[in-house]
Amino acid sequence: MSKKIDEQTQKNLAILKEANRRSTLRRIKKYRGFYVMFLPVFILALVFHYIPMIGNYYAFTDYKGIAGAKVNWVGLANFTKMFSMAAFHSAFWNTLFLSITKLLLNTFAAVLISLFLNEIVNIHFKKIAQTIIYLPHFMSWVVTASVFTLILSPTSEGMVNQILVSSGIIDKGIYFLAEDTWWKPMFFVINLWKDTGWGTIIFLATLSGISPDVYEAASIDGAGRFQKMRYITMPALQNTIITVLILNLAKVMNLFESVFVLQNDAVLSTSNVLQTYVYYQTFNSGTIPNYGYTTAVGLTKSVVGCILVLICNWASKKVRDGRGIV
Amino acid sequence: MKKKVLSTLLALTMTASVLTACGSSDSTNTETTTETTEEAAEETAETTEEAEATEETAEAETDVEKPEKITMMVDGTLVTQENGRDEFEAAWEALTGIDLEINQPDHDAYYDQVGQVFASGDLPDVILLDSTRYTSYASMGVLADITDIYEGSDLQARVSAAGNDALIEGIKIDGRLYGFTPTRGNGCVTYVKKAWLDNCGLEAPTTYDEYVAMLEAFTTGDPDGNGVDGDTYGVSAAGFIGGEAPYVNYLPEFYQDAYPGFYQKEDGTWADGFTEDAMKEALQRIADANAAGIIDPETLTNGTSDCRNKFYEDKFGVFTYWAGTWATNLKTNLEANGLDGELVALEPIAEVGNYIERIAPVWCITASCSNVEGVYKYFIETMLDGGDVQMLWQYGVEGVHWSTAAEEVCGNTYAEGEFHMLENLEKEGTQYTKNHLDPNLVLAPLDNDPGAAAIADENKASAETFAANSVVADLPISTDAMQQYNGDLTTLKNELVANVAQGKITVDEAYAQFESEGGAEWSQAIVDSLNQ
Repeated sequence: MSKKIDEQTQKNLAILKEANRRSTLRRIKKYRGFYVMFLPVFILALVFHYIPMIGNYYAFTDYKGIAGAKVNWVGLANFTKMFSMAAFHSAFWNTLFLSITKLLLNTFAAVLISLFLNEIVNIHFKKIAQTIIYLPHFMSWVVTASVFTLILSPTSEGMVNQILVSSGIIDKGIYFLAEDTWWKPMFFVINLWKDTGWGTIIFLATLSGISPDVYEAASIDGAGRFQKMRYITMPALQNTIITVLILNLAKVMNLFESVFVLQNDAVLSTSNVLQTYVYYQTFNSGTIPNYGYTTAVGLTKSVVGCILVLICNWASKKVRDGRGIV
Repeated sequence: MKKKVLSTLLALTMTASVLTACGSSDSTNTETTTETTEEAAEETAETTEEAEATEETAEAETDVEKPEKITMMVDGTLVTQENGRDEFEAAWEALTGIDLEINQPDHDAYYDQVGQVFASGDLPDVILLDSTRYTSYASMGVLADITDIYEGSDLQARVSAAGNDALIEGIKIDGRLYGFTPTRGNGCVTYVKKAWLDNCGLEAPTTYDEYVAMLEAFTTGDPDGNGVDGDTYGVSAAGFIGGEAPYVNYLPEFYQDAYPGFYQKEDGTWADGFTEDAMKEALQRIADANAAGIIDPETLTNGTSDCRNKFYEDKFGVFTYWAGTWATNLKTNLEANGLDGELVALEPIAEVGNYIERIAPVWCITASCSNVEGVYKYFIETMLDGGDVQMLWQYGVEGVHWSTAAEEVCGNTYAEGEFHMLENLEKEGTQYTKNHLDPNLVLAPLDNDPGAAAIADENKASAETFAANSVVADLPISTDAMQQYNGDLTTLKNELVANVAQGKITVDEAYAQFESEGGAEWSQAIVDSLNQ
């Protein structure tokens, strides 16, 4: 009897599978236009994002970057060396600290400015203000670094030092970009100046999507400006803030340009991040570098980045009733 | 079957060639024996020798197969596409009869591209490499050994005649040559503003004490004569230590006999100069000078262009920068700002002894080139042929980069027949100074250099001062230990130098840190590998 039931179950499963397969094929046929449109993106992703991952193999070799040259398998030797290097540890923690702090500060500032901009009634003034705060984003990091090096110069030509000295706050100019205690705060300030405006776009878009009826209803109920912000605007922004934070968290390990243009030899222990660490391994070696080692550092960076995203996804599901980002 | 036919044909061709050669020789000999007088016999003998010599030369020449096409990779030191590279290519092809394919990446990204080319295996026939990559790639067997081709070649004869054999010897690796450098490497010489010296009533310094006294006068006094004391600095540089060998060339007076990298001692053994007492003393001098305020306080964040601009704006008076062409550039830029452009190119002060000349970039034939001798003969050797091809590499194309026509260029008037460079196609208002080869630095000069008279006096003077007072840097050698540790080691050294200079730590503390962070261990490992 039970044998018969098993046979019947097997038959049913086979029928279901076949039906599913046909259904999938039918769906593909029905939406073939979309699949064709997706194809270029798929190929590009495959060619430029997935196939290069094969290169991670070099992290376990002594690859010297020469086609045809013998590549020796060294196992975990590159990783062993990496974890024994004080400079790597310093670069790793600097990357996390600088990147995550920058992300939190920039997001907070962007939200704050979006809220202020949203309150501006005069549309022309609002547009002018928006344009002005977006502009720094379009300056290259090299130009930005040059401008701030001049503003923060320790000589009498540095605007900040000139103000501080002439107002009697300090006696002698501070070399902001060459002192460990000052470099990090300056880095955050410069990043805020450059990227906060651009970060407001997505928040302003969310704010413009909130129905005016809701505010009107709140006003009728006697809510003031602050209460409307607290009970309507902030909850509406909450999902966007989390999404922006999570999406940007995936990029925290990729810090390079902004650090590289602002750092110098005197602040290396404070400012060296993983990407600049790889750069110095490559260009300070005085010879053809060990690309196996730099690949190992790169691979570690990617793995950490991936773990961060997964943690955020998990946190997102917990906080947002099971809604993750991946 | 096909192979057999081919072999037979080849054998027949060879036999025919040998018989023809014998026939020619016989006929020449017959002609000589028909002469009766002694004089005639002598003349004929001479003629025969000449003919034989010519024949031998022709034979030797025909032994080298002329390439149909040569692919080359070069940085921005050759005229760029925007500056008439196509005209250069066409002129070179017309002179040699060979198709030339030029790969010229953006100058700043050149070595990124070089790395990619070697990684991909798609190598050009000939490539320009700096000394570090030259030794590294040679040690990995991807550059052709041209020692035997160079020995006895016309090029060697020309280099020898100019007294520059030592420079070629200097780029040999274990006695073998893997490339050719057509110019000296040049280096930095210390320039002092003559007007500043005069305003402070000083002579050009010859010792370190005099040098420091001059910097103090330039810092505390009024060397620029603007009526304000202390608004200038003595010297400026782009960092306290250079980013690449020879590291010390922007502040040589402070480093003196110290060298923070690996160098070969007189007994042939290698050492890390950073671990020696001379380096500790140099660090102390830099720290003292910086604390005294005679060095530009922005030295750590300066780029070389920042230094140049400050020099042009009369913010400091002593600048160690490239000899030769740059002497003229500095002078003209000062004058353009309405300042006195006269500069004194200092002979090295007593404690420095000699400036350091870097090793010039090396033209290398890659191991993937199928006709090494052909590329050597028609590409490398012609580069310094003393004639038309060298002219092309040195000054560019007539009518595009230089001219002898009567005309006015950038405000300068030239008479008919007077050699002069033309206006830069990319930078209006400035004239070209050279093409790839610097006339001041070539290892074998043009037979008749039309541009020699046009070289400015200050350019010549600084180049001569440098050439007479410089030693060539050691060729960097690549080892596995260097690949493993030198990136971290150099970064650590740079950090310590900067921190000592800024007064954050003392010299002793710096060396204690060097020890505790593994620097001493890495340094020893590299020295051991070099001495193996």
